[in-house]
Amino acid sequence: MPDPIYLDHAATTPVRDEVLEAMLPFFGARFGNPSSVHRWGREARTALDEAHERVARCLGASADEVVFTSCGTEADNMALLGVWRARRAQGRSAVVTTPIEHKAVLAAAHQAKKEGGEERLLAMTTDGLVDDASFDALVDEKVAICSVMWVNNEIGVLQPVPALAARAKAKGVVFHTDAVQAFGKVLVDARTTAFDVLSLSGHKIGAPKGIGALYVRRGTPIEPLMFGGTQDRGRRPGTENVAMAVGLARAAELAVAEREHEWTTLAALRDRLEAALLERIPDAVIHGRGAPRAPHILNISVPGTDSESLLMALDLRGIACSAGSACQSGSISPSHVLAAIGVPADLATSAIRMSLGCLTTDACVDRVADVFPMLVEKARRLTMA
Amino acid sequence: MRERVLVAMSGGVDSSVAAALLVKQGYDVVGATMKLFCHGEDLPDRPCCSLDSVNDARRICEQLGVPHYVLNLESAFGRDVVQDFVAEYARGRTPIPCVRCNTFTKFRDLLKKADVIDARWIATGHYAQMRDGVLHRGLDPAKDQSYFLWGIERRVVSRMLLPVGAQTKAETRAVAHELGLELIAEKAESQDICFVPDGDHMKIIARELGADAPSLRPGPFVRRDGTVLGEHDGFARYTVGQRRGLPGGFREPMFVVEIRPSSREVVIGPRDELLGRGVVAREVNWLVSPPSVGDEVEVQIRHHAAPARGVLVRSEPDEVEIALDEPVSAISPGQSLVLYAGSIVLGGGVIERARRGLPILAARERQYGTPELQ
Repeated sequence: MPDPIYLDHAATTPVRDEVLEAMLPFFGARFGNPSSVHRWGREARTALDEAHERVARCLGASADEVVFTSCGTEADNMALLGVWRARRAQGRSAVVTTPIEHKAVLAAAHQAKKEGGEERLLAMTTDGLVDDASFDALVDEKVAICSVMWVNNEIGVLQPVPALAARAKAKGVVFHTDAVQAFGKVLVDARTTAFDVLSLSGHKIGAPKGIGALYVRRGTPIEPLMFGGTQDRGRRPGTENVAMAVGLARAAELAVAEREHEWTTLAALRDRLEAALLERIPDAVIHGRGAPRAPHILNISVPGTDSESLLMALDLRGIACSAGSACQSGSISPSHVLAAIGVPADLATSAIRMSLGCLTTDACVDRVADVFPMLVEKARRLTMA
Repeated sequence: MRERVLVAMSGGVDSSVAAALLVKQGYDVVGATMKLFCHGEDLPDRPCCSLDSVNDARRICEQLGVPHYVLNLESAFGRDVVQDFVAEYARGRTPIPCVRCNTFTKFRDLLKKADVIDARWIATGHYAQMRDGVLHRGLDPAKDQSYFLWGIERRVVSRMLLPVGAQTKAETRAVAHELGLELIAEKAESQDICFVPDGDHMKIIARELGADAPSLRPGPFVRRDGTVLGEHDGFARYTVGQRRGLPGGFREPMFVVEIRPSSREVVIGPRDELLGRGVVAREVNWLVSPPSVGDEVEVQIRHHAAPARGVLVRSEPDEVEIALDEPVSAISPGQSLVLYAGSIVLGGGVIERARRGLPILAARERQYGTPELQ
């Protein structure tokens, strides 16, 4: 079998050599606790402060506006629940979000509801964009926080975050965006875009799993999720993960430096793959195709197939893709994202997400463009039989 | 090129050893665990179909060096197995969901997945044997599961491998140890119906049909002559042949002999009222060329029952009738009638009703118009 092809970069990415190299000293000689008063502590503290500054620079922010978390999910939870809990007493007890968010946001919004808040879900267009009228109707003076993901992790659709953030701000609503898939692809700059809170995840950009960050604009009311020491101004108690913070800083710098080149390269690969697949499977549906999309996600449905079988068949041919959202057991459930943008169930259950990244080459595209239609044809023949 | 086989793996010892044996025999093995239902957070883990089971199957596959997938068959299983299970109880019958699961989910639906990945074969850890495309009883009489496999279509049966059917359970465990599958070698056997929490099927019926479903509402205990003996708390709790939960004060042991869903009556009577001389079954499926009317067959009306001898007296596309040589006790509608010739499974059906009198005369009359006793 030819070399396996990894087409699941939206799930996770390999740790970059530069990142690993940057982290290694902190697993060795520079092992200190940043809270300690001695030289080991100082050394670690300096590295951590620098990591704050470096990540902040990547976001057009100040160092004190960056909180390191254990992952994107923690960042999202802290954003929604932290802000909502801080503002609910002021008559702002509603949380607004979209039905196509990552479960970290949806479940956090739901938790706010369980704790007495109001959960409001925006309507979506069939292209996967936030419906304007719905945004105006739902984002009002009762809302503590509005959360709209910048790039959707399943279909790659790019929301007009700068415009939405500005409109939220006008209503006194804190605006959060889950930028886990957007960072490194779109320009993220707190100086020019009015988001107040923004989530990042390390492992989507070549840092390890287990590190994320939350940008919190100065003056944004937010409560911590955990209680303990005074680390990070008490916003995130617990001994800091210095090595991973340094890794995230390095990965973020690389992502920002390579952003435009990355976009061009991936868009070209994605466009070629998309065109090749549509040529050989003319009735295939590319989800979110009518909206602006990030260049690394291609979500395709072929009528008369099912994603579970196709994923198996692809994997057995060495091609790694994904579908919907996997539950803890690893079984695939229908995508809540596709359902929310009105994709019929039979089409949604055939959706395959191909996500491109650092491991994707022209040869990968060629092989997938060859193998995928073949497997599809076979699956359809069997469905017909 | 090695032939590919898709193995249904529950994470238990039987299917794990089945996969291991197939690897050893040189097959290109692909493991799959079927997710058939989800209890969500309602229940602590159960021995079957739980998250732990999926994880065990995955780890065994890693150990064997073969890929493993989780197949989400929840909606198909809900439709083909759970809904039927509930509907059968509502009709006053006692269903065997495992039969329908094997017929539809475990083999037919698995075969569809097998086709997509070019797998020539499908395999499970059932204790039954495939010999030249014919299904036989498992070698170990204590473990034989052929009773549950009669409903599988012939085109599906022809592609089945049952690698542990020729050994005893003890041998299977020994093989597991031998192959280093310590993770699952001594795993406890799953006993109950996998999707029924705590072995209480009433909960499932209440969930699916509502707590006020007729089968869950009180009704009368009666004798065949109509005498009312008391009240029961829902006929879905009762099965033909059951002794538990009946009114007392009789000189001989009493049993449920019939359930009448339309009047919600549970009929009770002494042992001799349980005896049947004939069985009518529907949803008939043949795994070999069907026997002819008048042929002698061995039949089993319950798992683990000793086979009884009888004669096929009527055979229509969807209904068969057997005349039994000796009366058989507690023939329960909803259970399976399985026909055997020695160890070969000929086919079977779902028991529609028992006949208390010998059915030969009536049947022969209808078939040939010549009343005669054999």
